[in-house]
Amino acid sequence: MAKLGEFWRRSVFSFRRSKMDRELAEEIRLHVELKTRQNVEAGMSQEEARFTAQRQLGNLTRMEEESRLSWGFPFLESLLQDIRYGLRGLRKSPGFTAVAAITLALGIGATTAIFSVVNTVLIRPLPYKDSNRLVRIATISAMFPEFQLGESKPDYDDIKSSTHSFEATAIFRERAANLTAPGEPEQIAVANISAEFLPLMGVSPTLGRGFQPDDEQRKNGDVALLSHRLWQARFAADPSVVGQTVTVEQKPYTVIGVMPSDFEFLRESADLWTPLVLTAEESKRGNWFFGVVAKLRPNLRIQEARTELDSLAVRLTREHPKENAGIRFKLTPLQEEVAGDVKSGLMLLLGAVGFLLLIACANVSNLILSRGVQRQSEIAIRAALGASRMRILRQLLIESLLLSCIGGAAGMLLAVYGVQAYRAFAPSNVPRLNELHADLTIAWIALALSSVAGILCGLAPALHTSRPDLNLALKERLSSGTARSSRRFSLRGTLVVVEVALALVLLDGSALMVQSMVRMLQVDAGFRTDHLLTAELNLPASHYPTPESRQIFVRRLLDALHAHAQLKDAALSDSPALDASLTAMMFDAGTLGEGDKTTTLEMRTVAPGFFETLRIGLVSGRAFTETDVKGAPKVAIINEALARRYFSGQNPLGKPLRFGNEASGQSQIIGVVTDTRDVHLREAPRPQVYFCLLQSAGASVHLFIRTSNDPLLMTTEMRKVIWSLDKDQPVSHIQSLTEVISKSVAEPRFRTWLLGVFAAAGLTLTLVGIYGVVSYMAGQRTREIGIRVALGAQRGNVLRLVLNQGVRLAMAGAITGMLGSIALTRLLKSHLFSIKPTDPATLAGAAILMLLIALMACYFPARRATRVDPLVALRHE
Amino acid sequence: MVRTATKNELLPGTLDMLILHTLTRGAMHGYGIAQKIQEISDEVLQVEEGSLYPALQRLLVKGWVKAEWGTSENNRRARYYTVTSAGKKQLGTEAENFRRMVHAIARVMQTA
Repeated sequence: MAKLGEFWRRSVFSFRRSKMDRELAEEIRLHVELKTRQNVEAGMSQEEARFTAQRQLGNLTRMEEESRLSWGFPFLESLLQDIRYGLRGLRKSPGFTAVAAITLALGIGATTAIFSVVNTVLIRPLPYKDSNRLVRIATISAMFPEFQLGESKPDYDDIKSSTHSFEATAIFRERAANLTAPGEPEQIAVANISAEFLPLMGVSPTLGRGFQPDDEQRKNGDVALLSHRLWQARFAADPSVVGQTVTVEQKPYTVIGVMPSDFEFLRESADLWTPLVLTAEESKRGNWFFGVVAKLRPNLRIQEARTELDSLAVRLTREHPKENAGIRFKLTPLQEEVAGDVKSGLMLLLGAVGFLLLIACANVSNLILSRGVQRQSEIAIRAALGASRMRILRQLLIESLLLSCIGGAAGMLLAVYGVQAYRAFAPSNVPRLNELHADLTIAWIALALSSVAGILCGLAPALHTSRPDLNLALKERLSSGTARSSRRFSLRGTLVVVEVALALVLLDGSALMVQSMVRMLQVDAGFRTDHLLTAELNLPASHYPTPESRQIFVRRLLDALHAHAQLKDAALSDSPALDASLTAMMFDAGTLGEGDKTTTLEMRTVAPGFFETLRIGLVSGRAFTETDVKGAPKVAIINEALARRYFSGQNPLGKPLRFGNEASGQSQIIGVVTDTRDVHLREAPRPQVYFCLLQSAGASVHLFIRTSNDPLLMTTEMRKVIWSLDKDQPVSHIQSLTEVISKSVAEPRFRTWLLGVFAAAGLTLTLVGIYGVVSYMAGQRTREIGIRVALGAQRGNVLRLVLNQGVRLAMAGAITGMLGSIALTRLLKSHLFSIKPTDPATLAGAAILMLLIALMACYFPARRATRVDPLVALRHE
Repeated sequence: MVRTATKNELLPGTLDMLILHTLTRGAMHGYGIAQKIQEISDEVLQVEEGSLYPALQRLLVKGWVKAEWGTSENNRRARYYTVTSAGKKQLGTEAENFRRMVHAIARVMQTA
């Protein structure tokens, strides 16, 4: 408390300094006057009295100075003095300041930008209530351990009723639907949610009410919540929207409310929210269609919840061996789930920019060191005048901090643009981009990084420079190349080695990523991906209520396409290709020769002509034909992976394959086709079953049309054909397969590109750094070189002498960097496709490139050294 | 010009205590404080003006004294200092320490 008061008074006094000065002067004047009078009274003459009084007072200036010390903050004031002095010094050497500040701006700017992204996407809590306790629950089956399946309704009910880890649970699903009124028809994203969902997320509609358990029983009819976007687009933000209707899939829904504008859940935000109303079929066990979100009880560790779910999974497997064979529940914190795959990618980028920042610091460190040598005599004078080492150290550190703050300010601007560019160019699967702004956080991050960078690049040079040998420095102001500098050489050398090592790790990492990217794009998908036009139809239940009606539509569509001269090479399937989604179903492994077990297999239902259009090879048996319709024997085609796994050494043709656990699900294998990568280029082919679309057609129909030129030119023709069959049918997702592939690799490509930029920046900085140090070292040896030349050394000898010095450092750096790469590129493993993190060719290539760059950086100073004129060099002293 | 030899200089660290104690008699300006100390100590203790004013500033910052401008006996504007309650507390501590110190020194000096 007393301290606080003192601080307050010091602040006030130092603020009113000039008034305090005046008052003290007045006080002292009075003192002298009174003293003079006393002296006069004691018998002195007026003049003598005044003189004596003043003499008794002593040194006035010193007294005022001492008084002033107690008014302000002497430490702060000397700090300000150091700062002023430092700024003056930086202004006096603008070249040095500019190079150092730009270098630091680059490092700090890039790091700040990436760190802001990391902060927004990964660290900042999600915008939900108690978001740190929210978790997602998913099912993992033995067959697709790397894919997360949803929950089935009965499993969800079991989780809800028989676990104690959760305060609340909610179930939901997301689907596409056709909105037809009010306004134009449009495909929208609909989320079906249970009544617990909104309270659990801590969200309530801005208008109207949320869902109640009643709504799931449709006691209030069909009700819906509008998204803020839909409310504005379709109802012009009408505040009396509650009670009006929207028509979705030909069914009217009463609007009961509007969601807040900033509410987003998971990747894609829904346009319409309706209660989850399920049919008996949808509610069956084994239908893992639903998302589950839950809130952990307060203070419960996630591990405890996991243990409880593990034992529940064991129990459910035992009780329902057919449907739940080999399942596990996977519990993921919602924050992690939202971050998804992006997390490791972002951490990778953060690591890379961290390296870039370190390289920048090493460079600036070297620059400061060189400048310190020039300032040796200045520092020696300060030390000789009694400045303590701490004081000199402080002065030097303040200078490097000033430098890093200038760099940091420029870096902050860079980061603002960087963050905006990231937002603009990041692939759409990066979550929470809408929360990413160029805000004050950037300033804080830049400031923190500047301080770290300032100390990082200033400390080593400051420690060296602040320990001058007074005698030597003052006596031999300009002497160079003395034995004393050997220690400084080794610090410079170390900095170069570190720099080269860091740059090499960056280079190796980005080379691996680039190669992985190229290999992924060149991988054989098992079918021809070029010249394919794709599109999606969502057959509304209102128009196509039964499987039969859908099969009729598929048949007519196929015929119409085949009749068209340019569209006849067409294929239909129930699922898209290469967009990283997978359809999987449970099969009775009994028919697959694996005892009484079930297994989950990748599944695709296709129309006749699919294999021909996609150019998938038929290995044996036959493909689907027009005669494989409903009523005819059910047929299935398998891929080679399935044949190898379950029918090794046997002929699979004619064997039965049972789908689900119903006798009606049994089909006969009629053919074997080659393997494809139809889920994602990086996913190796898995055992896969094909069924015939003419025997079981769902609501979703995907078109694949092989064209002779640009696929998108056929868009109009394709639409015409579809609309000739059904003029109300929306056609969505029209794109070429090349575009689909491009989107599917957008994220890794973006990351690879950024990593490449960072590696290039790191290399450039290293090049500049090596150049600077080798130039400096050669300069220091001018005299030695002069003597050598005078004694008959040839140009080649001198060149080698200088090159040697630089190349030795680069070699040491390259070896360190290779070891570092071997240790660190392991972290890339999950991002690499068909290339090992320790790929020797890449590592060797990167090291050779690094050495070549180092050689280039050494060559110019070395050549300059060969031009040393011995006479000039020796007279130089 | 030879500087007149100083009389007995103050024991280091006692100036603050002396000022505070003097001020317990009432508000005084800087000159008055110096005079008072000299007078009470029978001219033994000579307060150097060069250290008096910095000391007063220090005490102000510490919050042990307060200063107010008033009118001196000869109708001049003068800064009058008064001791605050925090200052009185401080005086108590310092005086106690001082007594203990003097006592200890005296005892050491008594033993042969």
